[in-house]
Amino acid sequence: MTLLDRYIQEVGRHLPRKNRSDIKAELRSSFVDTLEDRFGQEATEEQTSEVLKEFGQPRDVAASYHPQGQYLIGPTLYPIFRMVVWIVIAAVLGAQILAWGIGLFVDGEAFSVLEMLASLVASVPASLGWIIITFMILQYFDAKPHLENEPWDPTKLPEINTGQDIKRGELIVSLVFSTLILALITLFPQWVGFITTPGGVFYPNLVILEYLVLIQVSLLAHMVLDVYMLWKGQWNMVTRIIKLGLSVYSIVILGFLVQGHNAWLTSHSAGGLFEVLESISGISDGGWEIVGMHAFRLAFFVALVVTTIELFVDIFRIIRNKIQEDNISAKDFVLKVE
Amino acid sequence: MRSMMIKNSQSELYLKLTQELRRGILVLAALSQLTEEKYGYALMNSLAEKGLDIEQGTLYPLLRRLESQGLLQSEWNVEGSRPRRYYVISPEGTQTLQDLAGEWREITEVLERLLAGTANQGE
Repeated sequence: MTLLDRYIQEVGRHLPRKNRSDIKAELRSSFVDTLEDRFGQEATEEQTSEVLKEFGQPRDVAASYHPQGQYLIGPTLYPIFRMVVWIVIAAVLGAQILAWGIGLFVDGEAFSVLEMLASLVASVPASLGWIIITFMILQYFDAKPHLENEPWDPTKLPEINTGQDIKRGELIVSLVFSTLILALITLFPQWVGFITTPGGVFYPNLVILEYLVLIQVSLLAHMVLDVYMLWKGQWNMVTRIIKLGLSVYSIVILGFLVQGHNAWLTSHSAGGLFEVLESISGISDGGWEIVGMHAFRLAFFVALVVTTIELFVDIFRIIRNKIQEDNISAKDFVLKVE
Repeated sequence: MRSMMIKNSQSELYLKLTQELRRGILVLAALSQLTEEKYGYALMNSLAEKGLDIEQGTLYPLLRRLESQGLLQSEWNVEGSRPRRYYVISPEGTQTLQDLAGEWREITEVLERLLAGTANQGE
């Protein structure tokens, strides 16, 4: 095999499948033309090597035959790819939270933050993998989405800062509420618990007391952010991310609280919520404590779900603002490429 | 050392800018020479004779692209010493060549006017 054969073979490996043999034949004929023109009929290996060096690396030569460039997911598909990724991640997270909720309350399964994280680490990359494979196939077959069919209307451009203004009422309510709770649990920690009837037995909630400092820090941080936002009047990327951070922190604490109540209920050999409710008529003093702890757990779980939904809404807002900005630049880019 | 790095990056940038500038011109140049059929290597030589040097690695993929866009037609000719792929401008390509040539003349005219004032500024 001559040097030229080896070169053509190597270029062929990287050429597009379509027209591969035709391109190889044409390259061969052009190389021989060049060699003959410069060195006559019998070019030496050294002379051949010189000409091949001029032609460039096989991979580079082959790459110039890929008209649209070589992409795993090209610029035409990329905006849709990104949109699908966010939708699927939100759906996967939503489904997992639902599954945990059902597991916790229907089957009375134990709830572990670590387990939650572990299953997220498994499910999110797996979903992403499938999306990437699907888009790679679409790219391979050169699928072209029709994104720009609608006539473009400048008056329909998104308003500047829409959704960035604060909701003053919400912030004030949240601030008042946080202040009250913080004052209560800081000044009268011994009152954290429940009574069954006015003047009846008082049951302290030891689980809440265990996490008291974490709860205080969370409330305080939220209050500081609320006051700052009332003063600033508008959300920006930094404050939104701080809010996301605080929400995640709250979710973790609420997770601990739900878990703590679970552990307490298990150690007092209580059944699921429905079992306890069924036996509520013949309840004794000790039984009320269990009902109370069930109620606390339910309340914290609801708070956990609400905070998680809020977190997703906040993430969605950030993404939506970002997509609105990026869509315009992505379309510009597609137009430029064409 | 620092000034050398700047110089290097500037020459890289200059190379990139030159390539971008040439990219559109090459289409016009290739179409203009293919009113008679030619194979790749002969076309390269004919362009070089008239002062336009183009690398083979650039020219052959360009010819393929122009053919897939319908501006050129091609066929293998086995009559010479070896089989060669001959390219010739298509009727659609002829029309495009005329239009592009018109554009080109306008562009050069405008740019001449624009550059007239800057001729001695770099000195």
